[in-house]
Amino acid sequence: MAGLSTKSGVVYDARGLVEPDPEPPMTAEIDGDRAVIDATDLTTRKINLELKRIVYDEGVNEVTIVNPGSKHSLGVGILKRCRLTFEGSPGWYACGLIDGPEVQINGRVGWSLAENMMSGSIVVDGPAGSLTGAALRGGDLVIKGNVGARTGIDQKGGTIITLGSAGINTGFMMQRGRQIICGDANDGLGDSMYDGAIYVGGKIASLGVDCVPAEMTDDDHEFINRKFDIYDLGTPPDVQKFECGKVLHNYDALEPSERKLVL
Amino acid sequence: MAVKHTTAIDAETLAGRRFEYQEDISLVEDLDLMELTPGRDLNWLEDIHLLEEDGTPAVFDRYSNSFLKIYFDIPEGREDELARKVLMKHLISGNSYGIQLKEKHCKFHQVELGPWVADSKSVGDNWRPPTLEGWEPPAH
Repeated sequence: MAGLSTKSGVVYDARGLVEPDPEPPMTAEIDGDRAVIDATDLTTRKINLELKRIVYDEGVNEVTIVNPGSKHSLGVGILKRCRLTFEGSPGWYACGLIDGPEVQINGRVGWSLAENMMSGSIVVDGPAGSLTGAALRGGDLVIKGNVGARTGIDQKGGTIITLGSAGINTGFMMQRGRQIICGDANDGLGDSMYDGAIYVGGKIASLGVDCVPAEMTDDDHEFINRKFDIYDLGTPPDVQKFECGKVLHNYDALEPSERKLVL
Repeated sequence: MAVKHTTAIDAETLAGRRFEYQEDISLVEDLDLMELTPGRDLNWLEDIHLLEEDGTPAVFDRYSNSFLKIYFDIPEGREDELARKVLMKHLISGNSYGIQLKEKHCKFHQVELGPWVADSKSVGDNWRPPTLEGWEPPAH
């Protein structure tokens, strides 16, 4: 879309884009249903435009992005089944708002990986920053290293598996979904959670408000074993389960319109 | 006639009609849920369960923030499975109201349907800010 001119002569993009050049760079090397994007000399928007072009319009199902250079907001908003591989580390807000892709990140990631992910899977070989899986709606998020503070904040579905340890306030205001933390959990685990389940294999510095221990069921064991098998994570550790004590928040107190926001 | 006020928004209200698969189990039986979801299990559908809206069994469609009511008899033990199948039938048919809005309102290049259909058309390339017919910008 061309920029709009105002009376003062200033050209702007009504969608609020800071880089109003909508043309993909056409630099991907495409080989059948596979492609490689070298992100070295591309801006964030150009990388994402090229990614959407080849996935949506060229029928490419497997994309490798090399030299992501810790640029922010890479791979966001992909709404199609495909396989994405990052050879290197993306920065903040990687792969947010995706619906369908299966992503492999051979590096580390910054804040807010997979924010609002709807479906699909993301596997990170290294650590991830704070707010990993913020407002996650569905799908699987596997972090093979440690994660930062407030992982799964406002989580509304899906599964977050952390092979390392988790920072403070993990699962803060969690509303649905599941987290498996194989290492330790720092202070305030599950603070103000509404629902969902958190499984911890290591030590817990302290529980947050209204986060209480729960009994493991056969369904819990089946679920954990299945996820570890799918992502080839070895034998799962013995875990403790935590859930909402239903004292601070509960769905019955919500208005119908609020209830829908957490479904 | 008295106006009926309700806080509920269901899929058939948004669409203005009821869909056949809400009433006929045979229209959803053949769906392969594993085929329709990423990875080696049900992925996001794990979080979809049979709920109830206005006293009727229903499944929540997160793409339109509405309940899709189910009117056929649901065999015991298959509640979640059939809720998921009705939802997926709704989505792959393009009947979800959120998807219907995409053609007109998408601002960015994206597929019209979601990841559940392989060759969906692209939308969002030619978005224009909406204008009211007959409206002129003020002179100052």
